[in-house]
Order: sequence, then structure tokens, then C-alpha cells
Amino acid sequence: MQKYSIFNLVKNAFSNHENWDLAWKDPTPKEEYDVVIIGGGGHGLATAYYLAKEHNITNVAIIEKGWIGGGNVGRNTTIIRSNYMHDENGLFSEFGMDLWRKMSQDLNYNVMFSPRGIINLAHSDAQMNAYARRGNSMRLNGIDAVLLNREQVREIIPMADFSENVRFPIFGGLMQPSAGTARHDAVAWGYARQADSMGVDIIQNCEVTGFDVVAGKIKGIRTSRGNIKAKKVGICVAGSTNILAEKLNMTLPIETHLLQACVSEPVKPVLDNVVTFGAGHFYVSQSDKGEMVMGGDLDGYNSYAQRGNLPTLQHVLTEGIAMMPFLSKLKMLRTWGGIMDMSMDGSPIIDKTHIEGLYLNCGWCYGGFKATPASGWTFAHTIAQDRVHELNAGYSLNRFSTGNLIDEKGLGTKTWIS
Amino acid sequence: MLYINCPHCGMRSQNEFSYGGDASVKRPELNKEVSDQEWDDFVYNRKSLRGKHLELWQHISGCRQWIKVERDTATHEIFRTFKADEEVA
Amino acid sequence: MTQAFRINNGGLVNREKKLSFKFNGKSYFGYEGDTLASALLANGVHLVGRSFKYHRPRGFFGAGVDEPYAIVQLYRNGETEPNIKATEQELFEGLEAKSVNCWPSVNFDIGAINNFLKIFLPAGFYYKTFMWPKSFWYRIYEPFIRKAAGLGVASTKHDNERYEHKYEYCDLLIAGSGPSGLSSAYAAAKNGAKVILAEDKPRFGGSLLTSDVNIGNQSGKDWAEGIIAELKTMPNVLIKNRSQIFGYYDHNMLVMSEKVSDHLPSTKKYHPNKRLWYIRAKEVLISSGSIERPIVFGNNDTPGVMLSSAAKEYLKVYGVLVGRKPLVFTNNDSGYETAIEFKKHGVDPVVLDTRKNPVSEIIDEAKNLGINIKNSYVVVAAQGYKKVKSADIASISEDKKQLGEIENLQCDCICVSGFWTPTIHLASQSGNKTKFKEEIDAFVPGVSKQNETTLGAANGVFTLDETLKTSFKAGSELSKKLTEKDYEIAIPNVVEKKSSQHDKFWCVPLPKGKNYKRFLDFQNDVAVSDIEIALREGYRSIEHVKRYTTLGMATDQGKTSNLNGLQLVSEIENKVVPAVGHTTFRPPYTPVSIGAIVGREVGKHSKPTRKSPMHEWHEKNNAVFVDAGVWLRPRYYKRGDENLFEASKREAKNVRSNVGVCDVTTLGKIDIKGPDSAELLNRVYTNAWLKLPVGKARYGVMLREDGIVMDDGTTTRISENHYHMTTTTAQAANVLSHLEYYLQLVWPELNVNVVSTTEQWAGAAIAGPKSRDLLQKLFPNSDVSNEGLPFMGYMEGDLFGAKARIFRISFSGELAYEVNVESDYGNLMWEKILEVGEEFNIQPYGTEALSTLRIEMGHVAGSELDGRTIPYDNALEGLVSKKKDFIGKRSLQRSAFTAEDRQRIVGVVPLDKQTSIPEGSHLVKDDKAQLPNPKLGHISASCWSVEYDNPFSLAIMKDGKNMIGQKLFAMSPLKNKVIPVEIVSSHYVDPKGERVRS
Repeated sequence: MQKYSIFNLVKNAFSNHENWDLAWKDPTPKEEYDVVIIGGGGHGLATAYYLAKEHNITNVAIIEKGWIGGGNVGRNTTIIRSNYMHDENGLFSEFGMDLWRKMSQDLNYNVMFSPRGIINLAHSDAQMNAYARRGNSMRLNGIDAVLLNREQVREIIPMADFSENVRFPIFGGLMQPSAGTARHDAVAWGYARQADSMGVDIIQNCEVTGFDVVAGKIKGIRTSRGNIKAKKVGICVAGSTNILAEKLNMTLPIETHLLQACVSEPVKPVLDNVVTFGAGHFYVSQSDKGEMVMGGDLDGYNSYAQRGNLPTLQHVLTEGIAMMPFLSKLKMLRTWGGIMDMSMDGSPIIDKTHIEGLYLNCGWCYGGFKATPASGWTFAHTIAQDRVHELNAGYSLNRFSTGNLIDEKGLGTKTWIS
Repeated sequence: MLYINCPHCGMRSQNEFSYGGDASVKRPELNKEVSDQEWDDFVYNRKSLRGKHLELWQHISGCRQWIKVERDTATHEIFRTFKADEEVA
Repeated sequence: MTQAFRINNGGLVNREKKLSFKFNGKSYFGYEGDTLASALLANGVHLVGRSFKYHRPRGFFGAGVDEPYAIVQLYRNGETEPNIKATEQELFEGLEAKSVNCWPSVNFDIGAINNFLKIFLPAGFYYKTFMWPKSFWYRIYEPFIRKAAGLGVASTKHDNERYEHKYEYCDLLIAGSGPSGLSSAYAAAKNGAKVILAEDKPRFGGSLLTSDVNIGNQSGKDWAEGIIAELKTMPNVLIKNRSQIFGYYDHNMLVMSEKVSDHLPSTKKYHPNKRLWYIRAKEVLISSGSIERPIVFGNNDTPGVMLSSAAKEYLKVYGVLVGRKPLVFTNNDSGYETAIEFKKHGVDPVVLDTRKNPVSEIIDEAKNLGINIKNSYVVVAAQGYKKVKSADIASISEDKKQLGEIENLQCDCICVSGFWTPTIHLASQSGNKTKFKEEIDAFVPGVSKQNETTLGAANGVFTLDETLKTSFKAGSELSKKLTEKDYEIAIPNVVEKKSSQHDKFWCVPLPKGKNYKRFLDFQNDVAVSDIEIALREGYRSIEHVKRYTTLGMATDQGKTSNLNGLQLVSEIENKVVPAVGHTTFRPPYTPVSIGAIVGREVGKHSKPTRKSPMHEWHEKNNAVFVDAGVWLRPRYYKRGDENLFEASKREAKNVRSNVGVCDVTTLGKIDIKGPDSAELLNRVYTNAWLKLPVGKARYGVMLREDGIVMDDGTTTRISENHYHMTTTTAQAANVLSHLEYYLQLVWPELNVNVVSTTEQWAGAAIAGPKSRDLLQKLFPNSDVSNEGLPFMGYMEGDLFGAKARIFRISFSGELAYEVNVESDYGNLMWEKILEVGEEFNIQPYGTEALSTLRIEMGHVAGSELDGRTIPYDNALEGLVSKKKDFIGKRSLQRSAFTAEDRQRIVGVVPLDKQTSIPEGSHLVKDDKAQLPNPKLGHISASCWSVEYDNPFSLAIMKDGKNMIGQKLFAMSPLKNKVIPVEIVSSHYVDPKGERVRS
């Protein structure tokens, strides 16, 4: 495989960039694979990569209905963090942070991981206490966290609303300095390129239409491009999980909802960190291109409509201006919706299923992008070893029956209330 | 913004309503033995498919009635609405 | 300074009114009715900015919303706004603007070094480099890239402008006031339909303002003016200019942004800057016209290269010549209109037509005027850096692959026409699956998805005659359905010069040995070679191409680049355009002010504020407020220099030793009536309710179906079939909906009605050992003795003429009562309590003292009932009935909920009896253990116990039941605190609950 480097870039410039290799090939599906991963999103691509890299399993196909990276990995607000209260989430995500830090070098693809820090603003003492509980939990789990008072927040983000004319004054905030952002498309493409180079078949425009299960064991899948035999199958299609589950006669503790996001026109650097509003649901960061990347609420009813919705965005942006009034003078450039697997406790599922050889990776709610490497790594482990790793042991499917819930927000089963 | 026909009040914008989830879920009767599976199906498990979806809305800033709405989850087209006690054929 | 490029007459600007403005510090003049773009062009200014990536010089490309180049920083009335399109900004007296994305100046821009490095900066170059050394991305490379990117500068000041929202309903909403918009609006209006006609530009008329046509023996422009004038007189018609319909949302709701004040030097008093319209339409007519497509050639981004239609518009609307030696480069007849317009004003254009032998009326006219026309000719490359100086031109073979000898032609502008792209955005947003129309090489709407009809050029109809016929018909028929009126309209005669076919040609091949950049996306600097690289590297889906190269992702949203991009991909991939597909159009059509989207809900009004009837009294008495959801509650009443800690301690102490009064109006209150009320309560709460006598209150806990505590509170039986339920402040709305859900959907057989009475009652809690004495004085005619009104008793009384409800309930753990009166009497109640209570040393207390009192009693509240705990966790399992079923009971059987070492509430006291434990600390066995250090539980609430005068906390901890007496550490690494503690019972004060019964 060609190495990406400044030297190669210069070298290729003199041949008009005509000698760059394909980042990934476009193979026709083989008759049989050791492992088939359904879903060419970030998690699926990462799973294939780690199957090859960590477990030496390379007879692998990724089956993607559309084009790779076209789902939530290409439709998120690119935030990477591990600021969780519960141990299951915190330790899992912090393991992921390590993978993020070395991802560009590991993949030889600049994913532009940028640890610019995330600040969760608090607007009351009660909220400061809730953040203290979370931050202390993070610190005791070895994750960086700082509790900022009002003045400390003002020093970092003076453009937030510190005026008198404010409905919910800023009391302080919880900051994870090592959190940040990355270039979302690059993550998908970087994983795809490496997986491809190790022998993984990336098969696009191939829709899964059914499963072959015999005597409780997976035998293969049916697709729009023919049947494919597989010893093991991993489902990794957050946003469409319920659609595939139906083909397996499974009903999951997941509802499908739409999360709204938008970007402003690009402006010169003004905001260095990721900031979230504490008196609602709004978060913002500024991309390297200069766009303010903003997100917040679900539409609030089950949805597969992958599109922006102004009333929801109005609500989101109202909170945006409440937090940072200067946003008012900017213009909203693009809006979009991302389809979310909303699980019933807000945490994901990475587990085996009742069908032998069938594995499930779903339920990411809003937090899928940052989990990409850890999810791929643990899912690859679960598939390769046919047992969960201790990092994803908590993300079991049966935790809803046992009551071992991982509910960061305490909102329970009304998944549409964000 | 959806435009919902409240069977009690008529066409109203969605911001007068609050959502209540899958209307096909039936609560097990009180004082009845319920298996773990049945209970989990009631509390947690949802089909949530693409296409027609029968769901609950409450006309919270209006008549406060819970109603049933049949809507397409991909196009948001609303086919029919029902009162709470109306049988959905 | 003279306006050297303004012709002596002509145009629609008001030459009587001269306006002065500044660009990059230099003063100029323009006229009322100019845009900033036309005024600059009138002054011969073509260099306005720098491009995003290579910082190449940028001029003007269009004359409206499609403009990719002319982005400026605007200064108006002491405020500044980034990324204003000069082609959309109307000129006003004193306007100031500056170029963006250049330093130190637009003329000499350091960033332009990128232009010389451009061979090293192909599409996606940043993915391939900047990876070593590892830490350099964030520290060195990225900050550099961030600084170079972005366009204008955002002001970090608060926005002083006001934005309004308006909601409208109409029969027909018509987007665009060109020929199809006007005729459909007119027909519908005559049928009596309620019509809204929206035009994004200041002037109505669309293409009729610039085209050389006749309608009913008038010029197109005069006809348009006549129609507009008549529409303005009709009461059923609302016509809005400067109003852009930018989004087609669900169920025929469209959103329009009206620029109310942007064309004025400052916003008038009581006027908004912009107004956002939410319009629910029965029928939507999309008459948004079309946008001219560029032809791609070498250095086609040089200032002076622009759309031919824009050059015509500058001339006809603004009386401005974009050059004196124009070259028109066209593949269709539209270029001739521009050339003829130049010629009419004494300027000699040269026309290069890619077609071999086109024949049409307009070409004959051009020939007759003596215009120099070169057929089968193309522009190979523009020459000049900051402005076009000449063009390399050549003949082209019939198969459009071979170029002839390169010739150089002097010119000062190149007006390009590559035919027209229908503006199908609104149709596509409505869900319409668009289809590719071969004859026009563009997409047009397919089958309507919502109630939208697309007309005229937006529908790919480029002849005026057909446009008018179909539009009159559509307006008439759609309105007839709604109004049942059928006004007959005579469709006027149209005189339009017939045109011939356009040439399916959009990109000039590179001459041998030349490597010109041929740009597709002018703002983001995406060239043909970038698309080629993307495809070569396997980024083949159009979405991959778009994301890898950033094609169409600039602020013009690809209005002039998307289709050419698709053509290129289809050519290289050897597919037809529709097989390549096109990226879906999403709102907004054009960038929308965030301020306008938000409207009036800013500052203090970003969320509502709820206040109790006694709020003013609290304010007058130095209350410091705290937000409780959207309520404001007194947190403490400040005396002198007291801080929060001192004040709350004083207030709590006074409750324990004398009597205090607390405003509890914010608690949710629900009236429950009907014969099955007790049965409902019995199913909703975990404890038994069937035997509660009239005149008695009971504390209850309700669960969600998943077994988690949802809320707690007391409910009182007022009379046989009448109950009064209280909820926590936070859950009031949810509990009401919860009850309605079960009553209407699950147990409709229960005959019960529920209604919120939160706002009907003002509430005061009177707590402390002297509370009974006070109560007796407040209600001298009632027997409030321990026998007359026992613990959890209820009675009604007369409070100085106001009807009052008296509950003997306690949250503080003291002997306590709660008095409710109708809200209007809230102040009376409050003042009387304080007046009469003076002799008992009464003091008002806030939420902080309330917290202290409940914490040391071990009463749970929001920080324990946090949506993650079950009754057992809160030591409330005694209230869980084993006999009857209730909401959520089945979930309590789950193994984690019944585990031996299940978490449970405990009390925590620091060993030194001095150090307060910060809330949010965690309990650990070993403070020096390696990380991750196992956490046993967390501190949910802390107070200074006024009873024992030492710190006391509550914690929810694993196996709390067996932890009493354990010595542990409370750790708050965030605050650098490690506090040795002892675990005690959560009932720290009066564990037997004797006081409340005393």
C-alpha cells in the first residue's frame, strides 16, 4: 500500500497526482467469508480493521447498503469525549480515547483528531453538584476532568453569555481537556483503506435482505447481490438496527429517532472548544473550515426521515443563543438529521445474541461517533473470541431484563425525550 | 412541523402535542402473572420500523386527550388519527 | 469619484438619490436601488475578496443568491456581520464593507502563496499529511489551517437587533414573482383565494425585468408592474418582497425569511431586523425560476469572468457595464441577449458560440447589429490575475475534443452562459423525487409529493408562452378547488424571440501542455483535477466526491457548481447523469440568519419564568432566588452581610427552635375527582390507598413501569370522591400526563377526572415547634390541636376571610403545616403569617434551609430520586405494598433490583465533624488505591446539621444496609479533597419521627 506522507505528496505532485492508488477496491462478493460485517459505517469499518489487525481474521466482508461512511459517521457533530459517570461508559470510552490519540498514525490517514477540550456548562448549584459527581467519577476512573467556576469558564469562553440579561446564568462547568473533535469522514475512509489493504472486501451498494439461520446457528446472509455464506455475522447498523432485527424476528429495546444538527457559514476562528449548554440540549464547536457545528435535540417522534426540521432547529438554536448570543449574527448554512438507535437506558449494546455466530452492535444513541474505535475494537474481540471483552461486558442485551441499567441521564424508556 | 388532526379539536400544529410512543404496546393486566419476556416486551422492546407506525400523541396544549396517530416514519405522512378509545381497524 | 462604468441612463436605480459608501476604506458613490455589487462595478471595482483555499482573487460571478465570490464583511450601525453576499446587499447611505479572507489586504494577500503551492494541495491533501510528528497536528498545523480558513469575522458582541416570527395560513403560497409566479398569483387571486406571493429580491418581476419580451402589447416589465399593482389592491393577496422562502417542511409548512431592515442604514424603532414566517399553505406554487450554468474553462475564476445573465442584469437593472470590451462565451441563445444589450449601449462584444451553425431570431438580430460572432469557438483560458486582461480562445472540433490554434483576444470581461438549471430546491425539499431531463441537461421535479406544483423555468419550461399558459391554468385550477370560483382570464399574447437548441457542452478541454485550473466550485476552489483525483482514488459515490473535494459545500451551496460536477463525474465514470445521482437538496435554500430563526426568545426570555404570587414580597425582602426548572424560588433571605451558608443555617435553626415559613407554591397540585379516584391512586402509588379516610393525607411514591421512582408527594382526601395530589416541582407536568395516560388509554373504565391546580393555589409551609401556636392564632375558630388536627390530618379554615386548606404534613421533620389559599390571596396569607408569627420569632426560609432540614431527617428529594433509584434505594420499601399490584411493580422483581448488596441510602459524617463533604464526592475504601479506584457510592446531598452543628451528608451506596459504622473516605478529586468519614443511618435527626406527631 502507498504510504501517505508529505514526501509522497510532493512526489505525486510532479506526476500531476495521477499515480495515487485506490483508497479501497470495489470487489464483487465472494461466496463465503469467515466473518461478514453488515454496515459500512464507522463502527463496521473499524470492526473489520481490528478483526484483521488484532485477530488476524482477514477473510472478512463489509456489506454496505449505500456508500461507506454514509450513515451516522458522516452525519454527526464529530465530538470525541469520555466524560461519563458510569464506570461501564467511562472505562470503555477512555479506552477509545487512547485509540483516537494514535489513530492518524495507526491508519496512516490524517483523521485530524484535535483535543480541544469539552466544557459542559452548569447553570445552578444543583447542576454543579451533578457535574461534580460525574467529574469525580471520571477522575477516580483515571479520566481527566476539571470543575470550573464561573470566572474560569469566562476566561476560556468569554463569548458565552456572562451578561445580566440572561435567563440561566453560568455557574461554572465541567471540562474534559483531552476531549475534542476529529474529521468524521476521514475516520471512515482511514479505516476502510487499511481494512482493504489487509484483505477485507468492502462491498458497497449491497443491501441485506435476509439471514440464513439453521438450528439456531447463523449460516449466511441474503443480499441484493446474492447470497453470501458466513461463519459469523456482525450487525453494525445503528439507525437501521430495528429494520434488520425484524428480519431476524427480534424485537430490541431500541427506538429509531432523528437527531437534528446544523452548521453555520464559516467564519474566522472564534471558538476553540466544544461547549454544551446546561439548561437544555445544545452543543457547539467550530470546525477547521470555520463552520460552527451545532446540534441538540431529537425531533421527538420515531423517525427515519434523514432531514432537517426547522421547529426542532429553532429550539436548538434558541438554546444556542441563550448560551452564546453572538451566534445570532451568523447564518445557518446546512441542516441535516441523523437516524439514532435510541436504547432504553441511553447506553449501547455490544453483545452476542441467542443465535450462534450472530453478534449485535447497536443502541448508540447520540454517542456513536466518539465510540468508533472502542466499539470496533471490542466488537472485533467479541466476534473473534465468541465472548465479550470486559470493556463491553456491561453493554449486554439482557441488562434490561436483569435491571443492570446504565442510565447516564436517568430518563428511562421515554427515548424521545432528549 | 407536523399538522395533526386531533379527533376532538381538528387540525393543529404539532407544537400543541406531546409524543407518547408506540400505540400498539399493551400493558399487561394488573394482578396477572406475567413472564419476564412479556414484561420486557411491554416495558422495553419496540419494533420501531420504517413505514406505517401507530403511535400515541397527547394534545397537551389543547384538549389534553391522548390520541392515536397512524404516521409514516420515513415520510411523516399522517394517514389517520383516532380517539383513545377508538378501535384501530 | 465618478462611476466610470455607469451608463448615462437606463436601469431601475434612482439616479436622483446618490448614496455614499466605503469599501476597504475607500469612499465611493452609488444610487438608491443599487446593490453593493452593482455600485462597486459601477465604480470599476472587480476585486472583492479571496478564495477559500488558494486565496485566488475573487470578483463578481452572479447578481443574486447564487453568488459564490463576492462575500464581504458588512458594517452597519455600529455592528458587523460576516459573509454578506455583495450581490444581495442593497446599498444604503453610509454602508461600509470590507473584503474577507485576505491579509494584509485584498490586493496583496499573503495567503495567495497557496496559489503557487497548489500542485501540492490537491483534493484531500490534508488527509495524507500533517501526521508527523504526532502532536504537531493539534499544536502547529491545525491552528495554521484554522486561521487560513473561514471567511468573515464573527462579532462576539451581543446582537442588539430584534427578530420577529409570524405564523400564516393561506390557500396558495407562491415562491417567486417572475412570469409564472405573477400569472398564477393573478389567476388564483381573481378566484378569491388567499394568496401569498414572495419575492426574494427587492423588485418584483423576476426575469421580466431583464428579458426583451412583450406580453399583451406591453414590455414584459410593464406587464409585470401592472399585475403587481393590481395584486397590491386585492385584500386576499399578500405580496412580500425581500422575502426568501428557504424551506419546504412537513405537511406543507414553508418558512420564509423577510429582510425588513437590511437595506436601511439602521433598523427603525419598533421594527425588527428580519421577520421569519411560518406559513402553512394548502397549495404551493414553486415559480423560483432558474440559474444560469457556467461553462468550465481555464482560469475561469479570474475576476471579470461572470454569468452572462448577471452582466445583462447589471446593465438592465442597474445601468452598469461590467466591462467595455466584453467577450460573451455561450452554448445557447442566452448569451446573445447579453451581447445585444451591450451593443445597444455602444459597446462592441465578441460572441464565442460553441455551436457550429445555430439559427434563431435572436442570432439574426445580433448579426444584423453587426456583432462579431465566432461559431465553434471556445474560451480556453482567461488571462490576467486580478482582472481579466485577455482570453485565449480557439476553435473546437465538432466532437468537442480537439482545439484549434490558440489565439489571444483582448477583453476585460468574459460573460458565460452554459444554459439554465431549474431551481428545484423547494420541490426536492418537499420530498419530490426529481428526474433528469435530457433536453436541458438538468433535473426537474417529478411527481408531486406534497401539495406542490412547479411552474415555468423552475419546471424546465424555458418559453414564455408556455410558462404563462401553464401558470395561469395552475393558479386558476388550484384556487378553484378551494374557492369554487372560476374567474375567466384571457391569456395575453406573447412576443418572444424564438431560440434554438443549446449545445450539450459544459467543459473546455485542456490544450496540450497546459495545466490550467478549471474551476467547478468557485468559493471552495474545487477544480476539474480535484474531481479526477477523487475518482482515481476510489471516492466514486457522488457523496464521496462531494465530501472528499468539498464540491458544493460553500456558502453558495453549489448553485452554480453541482450540475457541472455531476456532468464531470458522469463523463469520467461513463455513466448517465441520473445514474450518478445528485445530492439531495435540504433546507435552507440559502443561508438564514440564526437570529431570525430564534426570534424573540432571547436573553431573559429564552425560556419562560414562573413566579409565585408572593414573588414580589420575596424580592422586597432580600430573597436570593434560585432556578427550579422554570420557576424562581427564594433560596435564602439575605440579612446584612450574610452569605448563603450563614443565612440558610440561621433560617433552618429558626425552624428547629421556633417557626419558619416557606413558599411551596411551586409544588405540583392535581385535583382528582370521581368515584374511582381511590382505585386510581391505589394503582399509581406503591402503597395502599383504598382505606384513606376523608380529611386525611398520605405520603406516596409512584414508579415508572421500569420500577424506577418517578415522583413522591402527599395526597389528601378532601371529600368522598375528591382528592388533592401534590407532586414535586420538577415532575408536576409529567405526573399529570402520566395519570391522563392511564385513565384515557389503559384503564378507561375508571371514572376519574384529573386537572392541574398548581396555579390555582398559593402554598405556605409553616414549620417548627411553635407552628401550632401560630396556626391557632391564624385560625382562631378552628381546632388545630393535636387531636383536632392530628399528623397527616386535613381541615378547611377561614384565613382573614379567605378560604384556606390546612394540611398537617411535614417535609422538614418538625411539627409542620401547609396552608393553601387561592392564588389571589397568596400575598394576604403570606403577610398575615409573618405578621401574626412575629411574636413566635417567625422567619421566612428558602430552599437551602429546606434542604438542610430534609437532609438531616433523611428525607429523599430530587438528588436521590434521580431517575436511577428504586424505593429500596431510598429506604422507602416500607411503602411498597406486597398485596396489591401497581404501576412498575413487576419490574421490582428484576435480579439487580433484589440483589443482596443493592445500593441504599445512608448517612455520612466526617470523622473530624468539621469538614463539609462536597456533593458529588464518591465513597471509597482506599483513598490511595490505583486508578480506576472502585467507587462504593456517591454523596447525593450535604448540609450543615443545625441539630448537631456538624456536617452531615446523604449517600446512595452499594450494600448500604450493611455499611452502617464503616469508616471510609469521601473523595472529591475535582476539589482535591479526601475526607475520612463514618457511615451512619440516613435518619440523623429524630429517627423515630416523634416531632411531626407531637
